Amino acid sequence: MSGKVRGRGMAASWYGIARTATIDRAGAWAELDDGGTAKVVTGVTEIGEGILTVLAQIAAEELGIQPEQVTIGDNDTARSPEAAHAGATRQTYMIGNAVALACREARARLVAELAGFWDVSEDTIEAFDGEIWAAGTNLKMTMEEAVDLCKKRGVVPVGSGSFSTDCTGLDPVDGSGSPWQAYVYGCQVAEVEVDTVTGEVQVLGIWAAHDVGRAINPRGVEGQIEGGIVQGLGQALMEDYRLENGHTSTHGFAKYILPTSLDVPQINSIIVEDPDPLSPLGAKGIGEPALVPTAPAIMNAIYDAIGVRITSLPATPEKIRAGLAEKRQRDNVLGDAAE
Amino acid sequence: MPDLQMDMTVNGRRVTKPAGPHMRLLDYLRDELNLTGTKEGCGAGECGSCSVFVDGKLMKSCLMPVAKADGATIETIESLAQNGNLNFLQRAFHKTGASQCGYCIPGMVMAATSALRENPLADVEEIKERLGGNICRCTGYSKIFEAVEIARDVINGTLPATALDAPGAGESYIGNNVRRLDAPSKVTGALRYAGDMVMPGMLHMQVLRSPHPHAQITSIDTSAAEAMPGVACVITAADVPGEDGFGVFVHDQPVMASGRVRYVGEAIAAVAAEDLLTAKAARDAIKVTYEDLPAVFDPEEAMRDGAPVIHDYALDNIVKHVPIRKGDVEKGFAEADLIVEETYSTQPVEHAYLEPEAGLAYVDHDGVVTIVSPSQNITHHRHMLSKIIDKPIHKVRFIMSPVGGGFGGKEDMIFQGMLALAAMKTRLPVRLVFSREESIVSTAKRHPARITYKMGLKDDGRITAVAFAMISDGGAYGMSTEGVMRKAAILSCGPYAIENVKIDTYGIYTNNTPSGAFRTFGAMQAQFATESHLDICAEKLGLDPFEIRKGIGLGGRPADLARP
Repeated sequence: MSGKVRGRGMAASWYGIARTATIDRAGAWAELDDGGTAKVVTGVTEIGEGILTVLAQIAAEELGIQPEQVTIGDNDTARSPEAAHAGATRQTYMIGNAVALACREARARLVAELAGFWDVSEDTIEAFDGEIWAAGTNLKMTMEEAVDLCKKRGVVPVGSGSFSTDCTGLDPVDGSGSPWQAYVYGCQVAEVEVDTVTGEVQVLGIWAAHDVGRAINPRGVEGQIEGGIVQGLGQALMEDYRLENGHTSTHGFAKYILPTSLDVPQINSIIVEDPDPLSPLGAKGIGEPALVPTAPAIMNAIYDAIGVRITSLPATPEKIRAGLAEKRQRDNVLGDAAE
Repeated sequence: MPDLQMDMTVNGRRVTKPAGPHMRLLDYLRDELNLTGTKEGCGAGECGSCSVFVDGKLMKSCLMPVAKADGATIETIESLAQNGNLNFLQRAFHKTGASQCGYCIPGMVMAATSALRENPLADVEEIKERLGGNICRCTGYSKIFEAVEIARDVINGTLPATALDAPGAGESYIGNNVRRLDAPSKVTGALRYAGDMVMPGMLHMQVLRSPHPHAQITSIDTSAAEAMPGVACVITAADVPGEDGFGVFVHDQPVMASGRVRYVGEAIAAVAAEDLLTAKAARDAIKVTYEDLPAVFDPEEAMRDGAPVIHDYALDNIVKHVPIRKGDVEKGFAEADLIVEETYSTQPVEHAYLEPEAGLAYVDHDGVVTIVSPSQNITHHRHMLSKIIDKPIHKVRFIMSPVGGGFGGKEDMIFQGMLALAAMKTRLPVRLVFSREESIVSTAKRHPARITYKMGLKDDGRITAVAFAMISDGGAYGMSTEGVMRKAAILSCGPYAIENVKIDTYGIYTNNTPSGAFRTFGAMQAQFATESHLDICAEKLGLDPFEIRKGIGLGGRPADLARP
């Protein structure tokens, strides 16, 4: 075996979303506003994952307007309701559902007024993309007109929502309990090329299938998968915070090596939608779980390529070369014994 | 040294504002011209966040002394969107979702602009090469490549400009690739992160950090620092009015070292001064004497009798042990046709968000202590700070500034307490911006783990028993270790049916850089071992890796979970 050798490996994963082994909760406020726009206020949002846009989509869908018409007020303990933290793959699940509930309440206020005005049953009223109408009639107006009408009848269409999970702590002796109410599953396949001379590993492709419940924004889900995979690739092959007696020797990006555009494989995302039965939206999450199977899939692919099992991350060229040398020695011994 | 007389063209405008002799072009653009779209990610030319054009050439402005730019023509990210209209490249970034946290994006857009200026027909491999000097930690780069290719084709006329338009409403906004609402602010550099924010009268903070992994502080002399002109205050642990301690689970970490330092990089004192240079000089003028204490750097050594004790409340150095027990493991192993044992280890990993920690604090007109920072948990930070500064909770306000990457690394309240104390002491706004080096040495890492794995299986791949033990270095403070150990334990053995399990995860105090929350919260380390182990077992049993997993999988039905 010499030169560049390719191999494939797979790994599966699971993940519990939202806070672990405790009741998680999040709150939100919503108001259908002048011009047929909306204000949504909640405690915590964007850390880069795209949750602002997801919340605007949820609010738009629930209220019958456009995402661009939603203004999100957020991230201020003195001005917005508690939504706890940006982590634990909880934002779409916890805050998304809180926003949906808040919007439903605001919409119900408006719909009650409109139903009175049109003299129709509330449940016939539908709204989408800036228009609101009574199904089976030719009664229809813009959301701007509807909000104006609602306010002239003395009602400001506001709502609030609180969403929580039903979980328990773990038994301190045997760990039994119910730590999460929603789980996601994933599976990735990695294809690698190992240079048996230098020991370098190039990941050529990753196929990543992940259950996300419902994908609110599929492109955003792909972005989370791609970002998670490249962080996983960094951990698998190159990243290493080194300490010697408590002092680091990797205190900058010259020494602490990160994946760059030249390390990135072709990533093929497969979004699996298995809606969550316990929440209004059915959506779950993807932020953290996308990273879980990447490193083992790459290690299994390296083994498939060269027969070297790396059990200590990262799989540096030095470790690959040492593994190859050990394998050659082992194979030679076996070869000698056979003779 | 006197100020430098400058004369240059910046974004088409002649600029003659004098510059400090120490300034880099980056400082001049950001601090003097308020062009904060150009970001500092590393200060060492490694990340590309500060990329600008100097006389048409792409340059890293953190490496260029401003004096060298005298007479030059500079283009920054702010020059690209004419009259607020995004150009094709920016629209393509918007369209594909190429910005996530957005902090690297101005530099990335500048590098992509350079790539297409240099070669308007660059193929994707050349685009990757030309973006090779720019680090992005969020996106995995793929959507960035896609954006540059779309922009290239639109500019060249081989793709209609309508390719950049928003998708239609369709039948629902759920399941719709609505373009990110925050992308325009990110691709133009308009979005202000905490380190971009200024307030009138704002002071600059610098932090003195421990050079020792474990030592008793015998004295801190701040008098020379306090006497320096321009210094507004020096703070130490003695300035904490309330209960000093924070942490995601255990509140074991003081705002600044209180009598004892437990890791290299731990904050000891902080200075707030009129300008950054004065703050740095004053920081260096603080005199601290130490008495070294025995230190421990290996978690297994830290678990032994007689090891140095890191925290008096935890004499065994255990932050958290999470046990899970089910069935009868010995019986399970006895029933196995195959038993495989292996050990696995993972390394500490840096979050490496491109935005180093930064924050701005002030006391408002109603006496509310307000902290603006990229905190991933303003709710909990407010609870903790209210106890630390001994104020009612409604007199403490946390505002989450745009987060330039977090991944769990900004869940810890590592610097907000110092900002609050300095703002309270001076009654002036105070800003702290970490250097990259400071960010790496002082903030949490992904827990390194050593895992011993023993699995018993039947010939058909069914698992009869698992014994899994993971020892993790938690470093000097508890931070998220308790939760990480819990999640690692519960998820350790994967989504598989196993009747007999014995799982133990241990988070251990040492004198290393603390470990904390990092995307997957322990699940990655544990499942790396499980998924490697299953492949080893599958090969020994002559089973395909997919088949063995399908045979034992829970099939996506968590109700089947017999263990927690």
